[in-house]
Amino acid sequence: MLDKKYTKGIVVPNNYKTISTNIIKAPLPNKIVLSLQQQYTNNQAIPCVKIGEKVLTGQIIATPQDSIGTPVHSSISGTVTAINNQVIPHKSGLKIKSITIESDGKDNWIEKSNYVDNFLNKDKLELINCIKNAAIVGLGGAGFPTHAKLENIKNCKTIIINGSECEPGIMCDDALMQNYAKEILGGIEILLHITGAKNVIIAIEDDKKKSFEILSKYNNNDVVKIKKIPTKYTSGSEKILIKHLLGTEIQSGKFPVNFGILCQNIATTKAIFDAITIKKPLISRIITVTGSSIDNPTNYEVRIGSSFSHIINLSKPNTDNYDVRMGGMMMGIDIKDTKIAICKTTNCIFVNKAKQKPIAKECIRCGQCNQSCPINLLPQQLYWYAKSENIDKAINYKLLDCIECNCCTYVCPSDIELVDYFTFAKSLYRKQTKEQKQADIARERFEYREYRLERNKLERAEMLAKKRKELKQKMINDKEQKDKILSAMNRVKTKNAVK
Amino acid sequence: MLLNNKLNTSQIMFQVICALSLGIAANYYYFGWGIIFQIILAIITSIIVESIFLSIRKLPIKSTITDFSGILTAILLAVSIPSIAPWWIIVLGTSFAIIFGKHIYGGLGHNPFNPAMLGYAFLLISYPLQMTTWANVFLDIGQSFDLIFNAKSFNAISGATLLDDIKTKLSLGKFVNEIYTTSDSQIWINIGFLLGGIYLLIRKIIYFHIPLAFLLGLSLTSLILSLIDSDLYMPFYFHLTTGATMLGAFFIATDPVSSSTTPIGRLIYGFCIGVLVIIIRVFGGYPDGIAFAVLLMNITVPLIDYYTKPKIFGDKN
Ligand code: SF4
Ligand code: SF4
Repeated sequence: MLDKKYTKGIVVPNNYKTISTNIIKAPLPNKIVLSLQQQYTNNQAIPCVKIGEKVLTGQIIATPQDSIGTPVHSSISGTVTAINNQVIPHKSGLKIKSITIESDGKDNWIEKSNYVDNFLNKDKLELINCIKNAAIVGLGGAGFPTHAKLENIKNCKTIIINGSECEPGIMCDDALMQNYAKEILGGIEILLHITGAKNVIIAIEDDKKKSFEILSKYNNNDVVKIKKIPTKYTSGSEKILIKHLLGTEIQSGKFPVNFGILCQNIATTKAIFDAITIKKPLISRIITVTGSSIDNPTNYEVRIGSSFSHIINLSKPNTDNYDVRMGGMMMGIDIKDTKIAICKTTNCIFVNKAKQKPIAKECIRCGQCNQSCPINLLPQQLYWYAKSENIDKAINYKLLDCIECNCCTYVCPSDIELVDYFTFAKSLYRKQTKEQKQADIARERFEYREYRLERNKLERAEMLAKKRKELKQKMINDKEQKDKILSAMNRVKTKNAVK
Repeated sequence: MLLNNKLNTSQIMFQVICALSLGIAANYYYFGWGIIFQIILAIITSIIVESIFLSIRKLPIKSTITDFSGILTAILLAVSIPSIAPWWIIVLGTSFAIIFGKHIYGGLGHNPFNPAMLGYAFLLISYPLQMTTWANVFLDIGQSFDLIFNAKSFNAISGATLLDDIKTKLSLGKFVNEIYTTSDSQIWINIGFLLGGIYLLIRKIIYFHIPLAFLLGLSLTSLILSLIDSDLYMPFYFHLTTGATMLGAFFIATDPVSSSTTPIGRLIYGFCIGVLVIIIRVFGGYPDGIAFAVLLMNITVPLIDYYTKPKIFGDKN
C-alpha cells in the first residue's frame, strides 16, 4: 500500500472503548474565555470591544496586529465581563490576555450570509482573505494560521489531508469524516482551486474502515486519492506522514511548503468549507471526551472558549478523583485546573482515574528509547547530557530535532520522563543563545519547571517533617506508656517490700 | 515494536535472571550442587554489601535491591567462576563487583565497566589457582559443601577446564587432531545459555546486535586461524561451544549499561569482543578471555557511541 515503509514509532495499545461516531452538540456554556495570543507571532490581537459591551455569536472581538495573525470571534452571544490575563492550556502554564464573555443564553448570531457555491469562480486572494477572516487555524495540533500557510506556498504539487488521529482514544476526526464527508471533500476542492495542486492524498489510519468507505463513496474527483496508513503512533505527525506517503524526508529546519507540499488537517478542511460557503467563522470544534473515568466516550461539538469542566461534566465521570489531559495521552498536556478554557487545538480531553506516577529509576541504557524514536535520535544520550546540563553536547546529539512526541518516555522501563528533560534542555539552550523568538515562553517554561521542582521539594520536605513528627509523637506516647507501666510495677514492688 | 508487554527495569532484570536458569540447570546436571551454593552465596553477599553502601550513601535500600541489578551481577559472577571455588572467592568477588564495579561510580546506570566481569578479572588476577580449578564430575550436596566451605580438595574430581587443557597440550607441541575432544557438559551448558538468550531476544529484552556480532566475530577469527593452520588452532565450532561463549554472548556482553547504545555501535562492540575473546584464548595467558575482552571494549564505548550516532530523520548525509 505504501510507497516507502517507515518502521519507527510505536504501537500504542488502544484501551479506550470504541465510541459511536455521532456528534452531540454540547449545550451553550455560561461563560467563555478567549485568549488573544496569536499562534506563531509575538503579537496579541487587540480587543475591539469594551467591558460591558454586548456581543453576538460570530462577532469579531479582537483584530490581529500583523498579517500572520487572525481575528478573534465571540463564540456565544452575551456581555463582555473582563479583559485580563488568564491561564491558557499550555505546558508552560502561561497567563495570556483574554476576553471573558458571559452568555445571554440566546446564541444570537451576526447576520449570516447566504450559501455560496460558486466559489470556483472567485479570486484566490479573496478566498484566502475569507479564510483569514474566519480565523481558521490548523486544528490538528499546532494551530498554525491556515491563511498564512496558503499565502506562503508556491508551486504546490501535493496536498496532504491528514485524517489520522495518531493517538488511540481520539475519535473526533473519525466522527467528522463519517458525518461531514461532503463538506470535507468540498473543502478540498477549495484548496485545490487556491493552490492549483495536481494531487491530493487523504491519509486515513487503516483501522478506520468506515471513514475510508464513506469518503471513497462521495469522492468523485480523480485527483483526490484516499490512502491508508498504519495505525501506529507518530505516523500522523506531519513529516513522518509525508515520508509514508511520498517517500520524501524533510530535513530539520525545513517545512513541507519548501517542497511544494501542503498539509491540512481534516477538520481544518471542513472549517474552510464552512468559511467559504456560509461565511461561518471558526467558533466551535469537535472534541472527544474519553478516558478511564468516562463510561460513554462521546464526540461533542463545543464552542471555543468553553471551560474544561463544562465539557467534562457533560460526560459524567464515574469518579471525583480524576486527572485531566488535553490532547492525546502521548503528546497531550496535563490540565491541573479544569476551570480554564479550551482552545482551537483542543481535539480531545482524557479524563483518567487519578494515578500516582511511578518513581523514575536510573537509565540502564537499554536502548528501548532509540528503537522507538521516530526521528532516530538517541534519547538516552540526550537524557544524560540534559541532566548534566551539558547543552552543547545535547545539541550535538540533535536535541533540537526532537519533536517531543513522548515515544521514548512511553517505552522507558525506568519510567524516566525523558521529554521533560528535553523540553527543559531546549529552553536552557534558547536562554543561552538568547534566541528572541519564543524567548518569553522558553523562560516561562524554565521558571515554571524551577517552580515545580521547588514546590515538589517543599511538598516532600513537608511530608517528611509530618512523618517525623508523627513518629516522635508515637515514640513519646510509647515512652509514656512504658514509664507508666514501670512506675506501676515499682509501686507494686515497693508495696510488696513494705508488706 | 509492540508494547503491550512493557516491562519495567526490575522486571527486565528479573527476566534475565530467569533466562539464566537453563544454563544453570545444565551446569547442575553435570557438576552438581556447587553452582547452587555459589549463587546463594553471591546473592546474599550482594544484598548485604549493597545495603551497607546504600545506607552510607543515604539512598533508599529496598527499591534499589528490588531492581535486581545487583543480584543479577552476583549471579553472573557466580556462574562464571568454578563451581567448586572456596566460599571466600565468591564473597570477595561479589563485594568487589558491587563496590568497585557499581557504587563507586554512582550506582546503576553510571558504571563504565561490566561489574560482574570486573569482579571476575579481579579474582582471576588475585587467585589464579582457585579460579582455574574446575569440577570434573557430578558432586552431591555433601561433597560440594566440603569443597566450598571446608576447603577439602579432591584431585580426582577437579582439574583444569577443557580450554585450559587443550591450550597446555597445544603448547606442548601436540596437533589439534590428536587432542580434539568435545565435552558434553560444555556443549549442553552453552546450549542452555543459548536458549535462555533466545528467550530474551524474543521478549525483546536484549537486541540481536551484540550477540550476533559477538558470535560472528568469534567464529570468523577462529575460522581464519584454523584455515591458516588447522593443526595449531582449534576449529570455530569448538570455540562456539566451549567455555563461557554463549553466556558471554547473551548475558555478559549485552549488559546494557556498559555496552554501546547505538545500533551500529552495538554491532562493532559485539564483533570486537568476539575477536578479542579468540585472541586471548589462543595467544593470551588466560584460558578464557571473555572478561578481559568485555572490559577492554567497555573502555571504548564512549568513542563508539560518539561515532555511530544514527542518521536522524531527514538527514541526507
Ligand atoms: S529507555 Fe529509558 S532506561 Fe532505556 S536507554 Fe532509554 S532512557 Fe535509558
Ligand atoms: S520525544 Fe524526542 S527523543 Fe523522544 S522519541 Fe520523540 S522525538 Fe525521539
